[in-house]
Amino acid sequence: MSNLPVARFEGIAKSFHAGWLGRGTLPALTDVSFQIDPGEVFALLGPNRAGKTTLVKILLSLCRPTSGRVTRFGQPSTNLRTLERVGYMHESQAFPRYLSASGLLEFYGALAFIPEPEIRRRVPKLLEFVGLADRCQEPIARFSKGMIQRLGLAQALINDPDLLVLDEPTEGLDLVARRLVFDLVAERRRQGRTILLVSHMLTEVEQLCDRAAVLVGGSLRHLGSISSLTRNPATGEVRCLEEALQELFARPAA
Amino acid sequence: MNLPVVILTIRWMVRDTFRQALASGIFWLMLGASLLCILFCLSAGVDGGSQLRHSGEPPEFLPKKHADLSKTTPAAQAGVEVIRGDLTLAFGALRLPLGRDAEDSVRFLQLLLAGVVADAAGVLLALIWTASFLPTFLDPNAAAVMFSKPVPRWALLLGKYLGVVAFVGLQATVFVGGTWAALGLSTGWWIPEYLWCIPALLLHFAVMYSASVLLATLTRSPVACVLGSVFFWFLCWGVDYGRHAMVAMQYLDANSSPFQGAARTMVEAAYWILPKPADFSILLQSLLHAGDHFAAIPAFDTVQHAGAFHPEMSILSSLAFAGVVFVVATRQLGHTDY
Repeated sequence: MSNLPVARFEGIAKSFHAGWLGRGTLPALTDVSFQIDPGEVFALLGPNRAGKTTLVKILLSLCRPTSGRVTRFGQPSTNLRTLERVGYMHESQAFPRYLSASGLLEFYGALAFIPEPEIRRRVPKLLEFVGLADRCQEPIARFSKGMIQRLGLAQALINDPDLLVLDEPTEGLDLVARRLVFDLVAERRRQGRTILLVSHMLTEVEQLCDRAAVLVGGSLRHLGSISSLTRNPATGEVRCLEEALQELFARPAA
Repeated sequence: MNLPVVILTIRWMVRDTFRQALASGIFWLMLGASLLCILFCLSAGVDGGSQLRHSGEPPEFLPKKHADLSKTTPAAQAGVEVIRGDLTLAFGALRLPLGRDAEDSVRFLQLLLAGVVADAAGVLLALIWTASFLPTFLDPNAAAVMFSKPVPRWALLLGKYLGVVAFVGLQATVFVGGTWAALGLSTGWWIPEYLWCIPALLLHFAVMYSASVLLATLTRSPVACVLGSVFFWFLCWGVDYGRHAMVAMQYLDANSSPFQGAARTMVEAAYWILPKPADFSILLQSLLHAGDHFAAIPAFDTVQHAGAFHPEMSILSSLAFAGVVFVVATRQLGHTDY
């Protein structure tokens, strides 16, 4: 595997139009720079409206930065071919309700340019993995939120991605399904795959992630290993992640 | 992005659109409407002297417009063999005296089906019924995952557009092909020109649907798409008809026309820029040779006699409008944050 960063953000800023006729601007990100290396499980942390999802969307070319540069696998984000190596689980997914679970995976697999025989091989396995094998022909309209989240996880894995982006993957999941997500992250970590995790489940983040970037108010407040985040810089004492983050969120911007 | 990838994307988007149409019930709704019309055609028949015209006799043997001469009694007294037949509908429950001969009556039914049921009501209903397809597809939570795949947004939008056009094309084929076959079976008159309605209807829909595509990318709102599409269709029809009326007035009496100078230029400019649904009606009537059997709308008739109706240019300029609007829609979609 190449040593090029899987994702690299350089001076990313993003403002949204706001106000009457969109004449005002609402800054969402300000000068964010960091990179995600191959094989690491990287956490993107921060309070609500910190800009985490916006940054993820910029990485996936869903959103264009106002300024700055993004690369995926060493290529500029305008090169959509690199998205063939990325899987994305959206925080609040709404799939076409008329498709069945297997129909949806076949559809997204085709859009990821996976050969059809390979899609047919992967779909039953993925549905088995997320526990939807017995409901594979049912329309998604009949699925609960948890089932849709499970399906979202399966679609993110359809192309067996080198970079898996999980935006709040445990939202709406029961305990069994949460375990499934964390087992998956652990398994892919063992395989040397890269994962970008946006989550408020701090215990699991602490257990699974190698490094984290903490965004507060659209700015990068901390970048480093999880241990560097939990260690109190003043006393050297190790705190839980929640305590460390609360202190970081409360600290005024430098 | 290479051609096979574009073709693959379009194929999957077309397939997805058919699934959407099936699941939403619109497929069955349109098919049901077509089947009703097919049943109506199967119920039609011709009784009596349907073979009024003798072999080799020109079709104009009975005057069609002169009120006095079209009266059958004096015509019969003058030695003309006058028809004594009926057009039956609803399996004989309704009987209508044949206007001229059986072919005319069948052509009248075809003109009614193509011009009123399919070209006006059908296209408008198809625009309304399919207007929600694109906003659903562009819903942010649904589109975010799709747009994170390695396919350009323009290819996805093109695939969806072609999917809707293909769906309406299938329905138009069922409607036109079915009613043609049903009328042929029930009356014995197989008039092949009627089948030209399939491409004509599809062209009409494809051009008008491009406006719905732009509205969907701008608003992502099904309501805006439905209302906007209907309003736009009426606007275009009004401009188109207005232009022809203006030309007709000018042709008949240049001095009495209220459209002079800048007003005339503006109407002409609007006519050439916008799609031309009324021209599609004229085209459809020409394809059905309706003018040989029935009186046309006077403004349309005059504009054709005046040489101010150019079907090729009308089609090309309407397609150009659809192309430009589609390019604007893809640019808009490409610049939208999800």
